[in-house]
Amino acid sequence: MFDTLRTLLEFYPDHVSENSTDPDVKEVARLLKMRPLSPFARSIHVRMVDAGSPNDVELEEGLMVSPRVDAERFGIHFVASPRHADVLIVSGPVTRNARIGVLKSYEAMAEPRAVVAAGDGACRGWPLHEIKSHYAIADSGCVKDVIPVDVSVLGSPPNPYQLLAGILKAGMILDQKSRQKK
Amino acid sequence: METESRKFIQTVERALAPHRIKESIERDGCIFVEVAPADLVSACTASMSSGAIFDSAFVSAAGPIPSDTFTLYYLLRAPAVSHPMGRMLVIHATGKTFSALSSSVNAALWDERKIMDLTGLKLAGIPDSRPLIFHAESGMPHAHPVGGRHLTPPASTDYPMPGTGAHGEFEVSVGPVHAGIIEPGHFRFHVVGEQINKLEARLFYMHRGIEKAAEGQAASAIMPLIEQISGDESAANSIAYCTAVERALGISVPPRAESIRAIFGELERIYSHLADLGGMPTDVGFYLSASRFAAMREDMMRLNQRVSQSRFLRGRIIVGGVNADIDHQMQGIIKHALADFLQRLDNVERLTLGNSTFLDRVFLTGVVSKRTALDLAVVGPAARAGEISCDLRRALPYSAYALTTVNAVNEPLEKNSDVLSRFNVKLAEVKESARLIRWLIEHMPAGPLNADAVEAAAHSAHAGKTGASSSRAKPPLLGVGWAEAPRGGCTFLVELNSKGVIKRLAGRTASFRNWRSAEKAVLGNIVPDFPLINKSLNLSYAGTDM
Repeated sequence: MFDTLRTLLEFYPDHVSENSTDPDVKEVARLLKMRPLSPFARSIHVRMVDAGSPNDVELEEGLMVSPRVDAERFGIHFVASPRHADVLIVSGPVTRNARIGVLKSYEAMAEPRAVVAAGDGACRGWPLHEIKSHYAIADSGCVKDVIPVDVSVLGSPPNPYQLLAGILKAGMILDQKSRQKK
Repeated sequence: METESRKFIQTVERALAPHRIKESIERDGCIFVEVAPADLVSACTASMSSGAIFDSAFVSAAGPIPSDTFTLYYLLRAPAVSHPMGRMLVIHATGKTFSALSSSVNAALWDERKIMDLTGLKLAGIPDSRPLIFHAESGMPHAHPVGGRHLTPPASTDYPMPGTGAHGEFEVSVGPVHAGIIEPGHFRFHVVGEQINKLEARLFYMHRGIEKAAEGQAASAIMPLIEQISGDESAANSIAYCTAVERALGISVPPRAESIRAIFGELERIYSHLADLGGMPTDVGFYLSASRFAAMREDMMRLNQRVSQSRFLRGRIIVGGVNADIDHQMQGIIKHALADFLQRLDNVERLTLGNSTFLDRVFLTGVVSKRTALDLAVVGPAARAGEISCDLRRALPYSAYALTTVNAVNEPLEKNSDVLSRFNVKLAEVKESARLIRWLIEHMPAGPLNADAVEAAAHSAHAGKTGASSSRAKPPLLGVGWAEAPRGGCTFLVELNSKGVIKRLAGRTASFRNWRSAEKAVLGNIVPDFPLINKSLNLSYAGTDM
């Protein structure tokens, strides 16, 4: 019991405020402050699809829900199926073999939905973008050539706070989309 | 030393007739043996019967594009008999028709299926000729990536995955997109009730053709590409690749750079293992422990960021050395952070291993028998959990490990080869890495950080080598490098031209070697334990698919 309590004290979450010295934490704090009072902007269910990243974006997403960053305290929750999700995070570059999976995952989502392209690979096909018609890559490797993208998060890979900021932005876009529908 | 390394060549010579060996050279910890294509399989099996272990099989095009002549390289790890250092035995042959080694050596099956996909070669006698890399339903490329021959698409997009035929057996299909935050791969379970009778994995959804993308580029310019093979093995893959290039070009890396590389490799092992150590409690629903491991991993990633400006330790290891120092102040920061980390690790270890629910789920779950592990040439912690010693830092020392023989790496071995054994091995390796980092910092040699004038060295190496074998038409400069990544040994082979431009890059990560053991580890277990067993092996899909 004592051990459990002690470890609880050791593993506290980061303080997220606009006074932070880390620009990524600062940006998250700014976005948290400005997000509207809407279920779509404040409770975001996320599904991730890896389409060709070297598992670095997944590791950073895993750390997004770790006790330090703790994205769940901001209402962000990773779900098991695209059918449960509001936001799809896709990492890339999109390979020839993974393209069908990306398409099917997007098609399975309910409206309104938003897509975040995470990392340089997903946003611009890096580092394979310079090779013309590479046999293993679908089109240019960019996610936007396969499904419509709402938010692009650059970085190789983006760190957990940059990903968090991308998801918060997607939440605001979802909120706008849900209003347009009405 | 000389006689030890000759021993394997002699074994091969005895198995064949001596005149059949075209050429054998020893350099850089490798023994290169060239044989005729028809003798390739018997040369490999002869070496393996005298103790060599299958490591990998690579291919390159030997003629002008489109080429129907190929060179096949079979890499075998030859253990040391009395000398402390083993050797990498590279048996190669150039020709148009080959037989499959996998007809007698099971471990080579995926390597050879990959070779068939890449080149369009038909290896005679291969037990499984289904395409590995290309998924017919995703559309096939027009040409084979190696050799550039025209690729004829298969008549059908079917990929048969038969069951065992047991009464009442049904199929469970999983993936390629999984429920967790992990990479894509398709699994086909054949189950009776909850018990798994057969599992087959279909991977290569992440095949990005990195080997092909490297071709025609300067060897020193593709470090970002190598770091994209597998994110949490960036440093180890970089070390293995750079070693291969440096050996091909005859560059000697300064000792301080070797030390810094080794520190990066060990830091990587710590944060990578923390993901697995946290993953196993996650998959049995023990989130208290899992979240502690996750927090410690985040802290280690932040340390990486301070040390190398990259959370994944990227951009620091370059051909010829490293491009930034770990200065005295940074050494202090690392030592302090590690001391703090080890103390917390101790607490979490007690929390996890003191929990009977956790132990109940992991003890004797997902056993890979020693026979299976040897049959599939399993590497890394997965092998060590079954009492198979295979640490390349000890068996084939490279980089700083070759210099620090007085302070040899301790290799933790466990007996049961179950999930708990793998947990214990990884925990012990994290502590060992922390000890090694401290030792490397305390014994860091002074001196330059990289070999100057890489191109000049390339030029002189070329001059030296063409002099030695002037009878042949400009052979490419060949280099083989390896490193012990967190998941086990990875091996890279490069063929360079005289200007240091890549003609062929071929690589194999530990995950590629170990995937088939995951198919065996789940047999007889229940489907809900699959994520746990998979996590305990923690294989990288991206690293396998490349």
